[in-house]
Amino acid sequence: MKNQYAVSPQWHPLKTWLSVAVALSALCASGSAWSQAKEVVTQDPGGTYGENLRRLVYDPFAKETGIKVLTVQEARGGPRIKAQVEAKRTEWDLAFIFDQEVSQLDAYLSDIDYKKLSPQAQATVASLPKEAVRPKGVALQVIGVALVYNKEAFPSKNYPKTWADFWNVKDFPGKRCLPQWSRFVFESALLADGVAPDKLYPVDFDRALRKIEEIKPHVVKWWQTNSQAPQLLLDGEAAACLSYTGPVARLKKEDADAPLELTWDQAFTYYDFFSIPKNAPHPEAALQLLSYRLDAQRAARVAEATSVALPSPRVYDAADPKLRDYWTNSPEVEKKAIKWNADFWGAKAPDGTTNEEFAQQKLNQLLAK
Amino acid sequence: MGAAVSAQSGVHVSSGPGGQAGQGDRSDAGTHAGQDVRNRRDAHASAGAHQNADMRRTFAATLRNPAWLLVPALLFLGMFYVLPLVDLLRLSVASDAGQSSATSVGLPWLAHYARVFAVPLYWESLLRTFGIAAAVAALCAMFGYPTALLVHRAQGRWRLALMLAIVLPYFISVLIRTYSWMVLLGRNGPINKLLQGLGLIDEPLALIFNRASVLISISAVLLPLMVLTVLGSLSRLDPLIPRAAAASGAGPLAAFWRVVFPQTLPGLLAGLLLVFISALGFFITPSLLGGPGDQMFAMHITQQADFLASGGFLQALAAVLLAVTLAVVVLAGRFLGVEFIWGGQRAAPTLGHAGAQSARWTSAVSARLADVIGWPVLRVIGRIPALPAGLVSTALAAFALLTLLLPIAIGALISFSNSVYMRFPPPSYSLRWYEKFLSDPIWLASLLTSVQVAALATLISVLLGTTAALGLVRSTLRGKSAWMTFLVSPLIVPGVVLGLSLYSLFLRADLVGGVWGLAAAHAIGGIPLVLVIVAAGLQSVDRLQEQAAAVHGASTLRVFWFVTLPAIRPSVAAAAFFAFLHSFDDLVFAMFLSGSRMTTLPLRLWGNVNYKLDPVPAVVATFEVGLILVGLFLARAAWSARSRP
Repeated sequence: MKNQYAVSPQWHPLKTWLSVAVALSALCASGSAWSQAKEVVTQDPGGTYGENLRRLVYDPFAKETGIKVLTVQEARGGPRIKAQVEAKRTEWDLAFIFDQEVSQLDAYLSDIDYKKLSPQAQATVASLPKEAVRPKGVALQVIGVALVYNKEAFPSKNYPKTWADFWNVKDFPGKRCLPQWSRFVFESALLADGVAPDKLYPVDFDRALRKIEEIKPHVVKWWQTNSQAPQLLLDGEAAACLSYTGPVARLKKEDADAPLELTWDQAFTYYDFFSIPKNAPHPEAALQLLSYRLDAQRAARVAEATSVALPSPRVYDAADPKLRDYWTNSPEVEKKAIKWNADFWGAKAPDGTTNEEFAQQKLNQLLAK
Repeated sequence: MGAAVSAQSGVHVSSGPGGQAGQGDRSDAGTHAGQDVRNRRDAHASAGAHQNADMRRTFAATLRNPAWLLVPALLFLGMFYVLPLVDLLRLSVASDAGQSSATSVGLPWLAHYARVFAVPLYWESLLRTFGIAAAVAALCAMFGYPTALLVHRAQGRWRLALMLAIVLPYFISVLIRTYSWMVLLGRNGPINKLLQGLGLIDEPLALIFNRASVLISISAVLLPLMVLTVLGSLSRLDPLIPRAAAASGAGPLAAFWRVVFPQTLPGLLAGLLLVFISALGFFITPSLLGGPGDQMFAMHITQQADFLASGGFLQALAAVLLAVTLAVVVLAGRFLGVEFIWGGQRAAPTLGHAGAQSARWTSAVSARLADVIGWPVLRVIGRIPALPAGLVSTALAAFALLTLLLPIAIGALISFSNSVYMRFPPPSYSLRWYEKFLSDPIWLASLLTSVQVAALATLISVLLGTTAALGLVRSTLRGKSAWMTFLVSPLIVPGVVLGLSLYSLFLRADLVGGVWGLAAAHAIGGIPLVLVIVAAGLQSVDRLQEQAAAVHGASTLRVFWFVTLPAIRPSVAAAAFFAFLHSFDDLVFAMFLSGSRMTTLPLRLWGNVNYKLDPVPAVVATFEVGLILVGLFLARAAWSARSRP
């Protein structure tokens, strides 16, 4: 019932809705049908590391085998794998999991048939340390955690070399930084207290906590993101830190004059595992990609670009000597560093949780005081 | 009956033939003589007809009840929020074999909750988190309100510049903003260097990694939220009213306190609520800038998410956070009268004779107090000239704007750095990092994906949130506080916990790895933001204008489109902006729900930041800011070109 006095609107409903519909469909343009062509889905760290993997591994793999490699940026892989298998919708073929999680996720992973890998891959696997090869996971990365210091903070050139030095703020003055985790911190505290490396595990929580309480007033920051420790050293906030060695390696590669330095004495190394989840959509392709990554020559090229090493001496030998400083698979590291014991930290604690959680809670309580 | 309902529902007045006609005199003009007889006959007949008409009217009126507007938002949240929430709660009571605390409590399903309270760590952390969030809300109000006043009074280009200054920091990743604070307040930073240079101190002050730096940095991030929310209220102010107050003899301060300020209360309270709730969930900023004694609750949640074995404890922590926060919000709401946000009135004093007596007594006492103390004080305050107060207000606003702009400036400087790691000041300058960023198609692709997802999420949030706000404000629903609390609660549940439950749900629905799924997840948090901001804005809509339009024949939709919507435009714009950013900045949901064919910008930044220390995040931030400035410039040029005859 049109009112004769009604002003005809400039707003044309049909035009508006049409343009809205067009805009909406443009917005949704990305959703393409999931192609069932040959492909494999792998977890990937993203960022520059992921770019290097794409350039050195995934694209050549696709060219050689015709299988496209799709990446999912890694984050909390363990809980997601569990969710996928429980929902009977496993989406990933190759997944990255923490050392402690390999046994916890046992029911959610499938066995790796090492016999089906390529000959080069099998040769690499044979050269891996035995802890790096498990029925349901193989370590593709060995990560280092060490005492890193800023040379400019010690003008007398008397650099801290052991954890006892780190705890000794009198002879090695300056602020410290430590991660707000139980792992590595408890071990370094025990080493500073005089425990021998082969007597570290099982970890004496109370002794470690007492030692941590000693250093607490001198710790400028209990860091929680990987990149903060080297940044604190570079900014002059801290003189020495417990830090990942990867960022240091990458930094020194690009700027050899950067004032950071580390010591491999009493450093820690641990493995990152790659597994195939149960009911993965493309298990054969996953094994092929795994073979590709385990090839010693290729792994050497990847490590040269990313400074993240495969724990095999074959990979170290195949690499360019000028580019393999600070690598965690060198003979020096093998000799000096302490292998972090994931089984201890993943084992059951007195309160029913894992040792890692139990110790974490105790550390948080100490810090909140 | 029908009239009563539609008068309260307010958005429209029913017009047209089917509506009010039945109410009036059915019997048309007839001769007086037969009128009585006919009336009686008609009365009987129309009694029955009235009943049918009543029922039809009631049904029609029920359909027109604005409370139905809440349904779309409720359906959406029911699907995407309540289902994962139920899953979360289910997991939190799942009994775990071997929990020794279970036997002590005697109820295995309470095991995880028992663990939360077994040590004082979590409870104290929760209290500390509330304290920090409240302090942040207070700081944001203290600095944000004057800033909003400043923007409101500014004209033309200045206004645009100020709005930009408030809005731009949001386009910078929180990592860069946090790093800027480290740069500013660090041992070798400019503040310490200045103080040392002036000879005031010998050793650098420890300005960071303590509570102060946490409060400053979180407030700096949330300040724009407060400013824009208050601005939404301020901009609807009738400028004649303060002038009337001045003409009536009120001094400028008194006019502000008694006239202007109360009208902006909805916006202020909405801002306080949103800032408080947002601050509760902060993790990145306190973890980067806080000391060991500044552990916020979100840190425990994030750490716990890494532990695979004790599934259930994580969910119990999240459930405790949600329950306690809701309790606090409800209590504070009663105390502060948060009903203002949606225009409710404070609950009437207790009924009954004794209650009425005491009510009269208290009002008598307060009247006495007002006469003796209140009014005289106000008159004194009123005599204070506006200048000192204005200066203080401008100073606060200037400080706030400085804290917003400095990170942009520092980030821009670092982006042109020649160094391979972030250093301030940069040793030398070059464009190398811009080359690296611009030559990489994946960065630009992820930027595009983020924009796409954010646009979708904003659309959903604004549509559902605005209709819900209308429904909440304009209906006479009972228990509006409860509805409001429910609709705001998605902001309280930690993303990392909701994300995991959402992931399981989406896996089954095949929504992982697509823009729609991620946009829906973002809209879960976007709807509360839009709801609160628009509900506060609806307070200042002149209902008479709506009724006038309806009386002139406008349908409900037209009244909304031509009268209501333009009136709440600033609030809807602010709400859309925050919904956009809530999605654009999101890392946690992206970590769970992105797939092999889709990655967002924050996710990509995160992957990079954990790997290398290079200035690329600063480049991304400066690039985004540059894009916006260029876009604005072009828009203004196009606009002025179009308006030129």
